[in-house]
Order: sequence, then structure tokens, then C-alpha cells
Amino acid sequence: MKVLDADVHESFASIKDLAPYLPEPYRGWIAGGAWRGFSQPFAYTSPGLGNRADVRSNDGSASVSDYGLMRDQLLDAYDLSHAVLTGYFYPTGLKLQYGFATALAAAYNDYVAEHWLAKDPRFIGSVQVNARDPEAAAREIDRMAAHPQVRQVLLPVVDDIAYGHPVYRPIFEAADRNRLMVAFHHTTFAQGPYGMGLHYMERHALLPLAMMPQVISLIANGVFDAYPNLRFMILEGGFSWLPHVMWRLDREYRQGRVEVPWIKKLPSQHCRERLRLSTQPTEDISGDQWMKLIDLMGTDDVLVFSTDYPHFDFDDPNAAIPRVLPESTREKILWKNAAEFYGVSDDPRSERSLEAAE
Amino acid sequence: MARHSVCKVADVAVGALTEVKVGRSPIVLSRLPSGEIRAVGGRCPHQGAALRFGCVSGTTGSDTPNELTYGCEGEILRCPWHGFEFSLRDGLPTTPDSESLTLRLRMYEVEVDGDEVVVVT
Repeated sequence: MKVLDADVHESFASIKDLAPYLPEPYRGWIAGGAWRGFSQPFAYTSPGLGNRADVRSNDGSASVSDYGLMRDQLLDAYDLSHAVLTGYFYPTGLKLQYGFATALAAAYNDYVAEHWLAKDPRFIGSVQVNARDPEAAAREIDRMAAHPQVRQVLLPVVDDIAYGHPVYRPIFEAADRNRLMVAFHHTTFAQGPYGMGLHYMERHALLPLAMMPQVISLIANGVFDAYPNLRFMILEGGFSWLPHVMWRLDREYRQGRVEVPWIKKLPSQHCRERLRLSTQPTEDISGDQWMKLIDLMGTDDVLVFSTDYPHFDFDDPNAAIPRVLPESTREKILWKNAAEFYGVSDDPRSERSLEAAE
Repeated sequence: MARHSVCKVADVAVGALTEVKVGRSPIVLSRLPSGEIRAVGGRCPHQGAALRFGCVSGTTGSDTPNELTYGCEGEILRCPWHGFEFSLRDGLPTTPDSESLTLRLRMYEVEVDGDEVVVVT
């Protein structure tokens, strides 16, 4: 059975690797150590720090900068048809120096194109942006969309942005005109309703609570209705909450439509048609419980498999999606739903298939 | 088919709700701005709230977030509990149905006989 991995975290070995891709004065800043990159505001507690313990990075961060290692441990080991590179360096985390953050996003995109995308046709690329400057983000999307392996815009979920706000519309406009999808991934800054909690395990358990508001914000503020061709991917944010959010939004819509009449469909219908959620980290539930959840969602089109390689909460495609699920459902989760989302087909081990999907 | 004389024509006004009983069943009446009288089941199809406490209003429309239009004044009945909206023209909700929840006002045929409002059940 084919497997497409929707969430794989490539990285650089050092932020100084970005210096050659930056214009001055930022090149000098990074080369000179004026900024050392983001530092997570907590300690990792797993045996391999933020990574699987069999994927060590030189600086101890939750990252992998070695393509060969990823190829051996992930792409070849699981015979993946595609792996979607989602990064974990998100310049939107900078709350100041917007020009610097925008330049970092562009530099990172160029770095990934050269050091990752070019090395393996199985990679699908994401455009990284500085979402705090939406017009600049839109220009970066326009620039990177020309790359044949780029299929989506990645919007990082930080602690102070709900992407339905009208100020972010240029980003969705740009994704729409370039026929890219839009994915959301948490960051080391993402918070639940009361912050990160007091422990890493709390912070990690709260991540879905940073994702649900994005879905609510996008639908309530008309992004789904304004861009009927856009589709949205929630990465690593849980999935068993979707029935609740759909039902709750439907009730809120029925009783409060007078305030938000730009919403033209039931929110649950919007979700089933155009929202996708990656499965990792799977909750350790039985096959029966998987099928109950899918029944409650009303479709098996929504879930897409991801590993989150190289991070410690990795999901193995051979173990995470129970084999007792119906073959057709398992195939949808492991490959078909994501293949349709990213517009890839058939023989994905060649560049041809990615280009043919253009 | 039974015909029930339920109230006087003058008792039914635009923008207002008049409750009558046919047997033990409540029915609410309202006059559309076009002049037609509507008679609908007196309980909300959602959770059974007494619609005589609801309101007759217009409703909003929009194709652009944060820009509202308003129209259909006198043609919308809103439930007094949850505010669900129904059109008094056809009894349909202003929101799409889902498979698990189909909501319709029960519509009764209305005749005017002299100054009497007659509901057909």
C-alpha cells in the first residue's frame, strides 16, 4: 500500500547555513551571530530530546539536517511515495523586525529548495512565510509557487494569530491564485487557552487547543467561502476533536447566522469537503474506535497519515493506522486522501508525476 | 380536512405573532408584508420552544465579511430560545439542513372567510 507522509521536519544544521541565502544586512547579522535562532521555552523530556533517540542532531535540537539519514530511516525504510517537508523554523515567531523575518523565510525556502527538494523527487515542498507581513508573505508565495515540488503554504500557529482575521487575506489570495493548499502547524510558541501549562506534557497536550481556534476562525471569518478552491490541512493537531467542532459550529451557525451570513454552508460541510487533519500523534485507540470516529466525522476523506519524523512522537505507518480498518479506508488515510489534496498521482517516484500534476 | 375558525382577521398583524389553539395544538399566525396570512405550528421544530414568544423580523445577507445587508422584514420567524431563523414564506430555515437535523416549520393552509381566519388541518 502506498504511503504519503504529510508532515516531515527537515532543518538546517545551523542557522548560519542560511547566511548565503540572505541579502545584506541580514547576511552579516546571521553570519556574525547577531541572532541565534529560536529557542524553545521548555526542556524536552524524551530519551532523544525532541527527536527520536535514533535521530541525533548535532546541536541537540528537534531537527534533522542530514538528507541521507532521512532517506535511509524514513523515505526508503517505509517506501514512502512522497514526504511533505514542513520545516520547524518559522520566522512568524519573530514579533518584531518584520523585514528580517521575511528575509529569513525567503532564505529558508531557498535553502530547502537546494538542500532538500532538489535531492529527492519524493519531497513535496511548503512555502514558509512571515505571516505578520501578509503582503510580503504573498510575494514570497508568488515567488516560490513556481517551484514544481511546492504544493502548499505553511502557516505556523503561534500564540497571537487567528488566521481568519481579514488582515491575513493576502496570504490566502496568494495561495488561491497559485493553486496551493494551506497547512497549519504548531510551533514552540503555540499556546492553549491558559498558556502552555506548567509541564512539557501539558504543553504537548494543549496543542490541539491551539488548532481548533484556527478552524473556527477560518470558517467564521469567511475564508472557506471566499476561496472555494482552497483546502486546508491541520498538521499534528489531533483529529478526534473534529466531530465536536463540526457539531458545535453548526449549532452556533444556526443560532447566530444573522451575524455571519457570509458563511454559506454548514460549517460541518465545509470541514468535510475541504479540511484535512493529519493523524500523528495518533491516540492509542482501537480499530473500532477509529471507525466510530470516522462515522462521527461523516466521511473517511478527512484523515491523512503523517509520521512527524524525526520527532520523538513519531508514528510508524505500519503500526499507527490499525490493520483492522477496512482496506479502502486505510488506503485513504495512508495515501489517497493526501494524494488528492496535493495533486499527486500514480508513479510518484519520479519528478514527472509531480510536474504532470501541474 | 377540517376547517377551524381561529380568530378575526384584524387579530393578525405584520411583524407580530398571534397564538391560537386547534384542539390542544398551538398554532401561531402572522401576516406577511405582502398581506398573506401564515399559520405555522406553535412549537419550534428544534426543541419545542413556544414560538409565540419568538420574534418576527427581517434577516441579514452578505457576500463579504463584516458587510451586512438586511431585508425580508416581516418574513422571518426566530425561535425565542436559540434564535434559529425560519422563513414564514415557506417554513424553511435560513441555514442548510444536515443529514442529522432537518428543521421545518409546520405550515397550515389559511383561508379568510369574511372577517374570520380559518385554518385547515
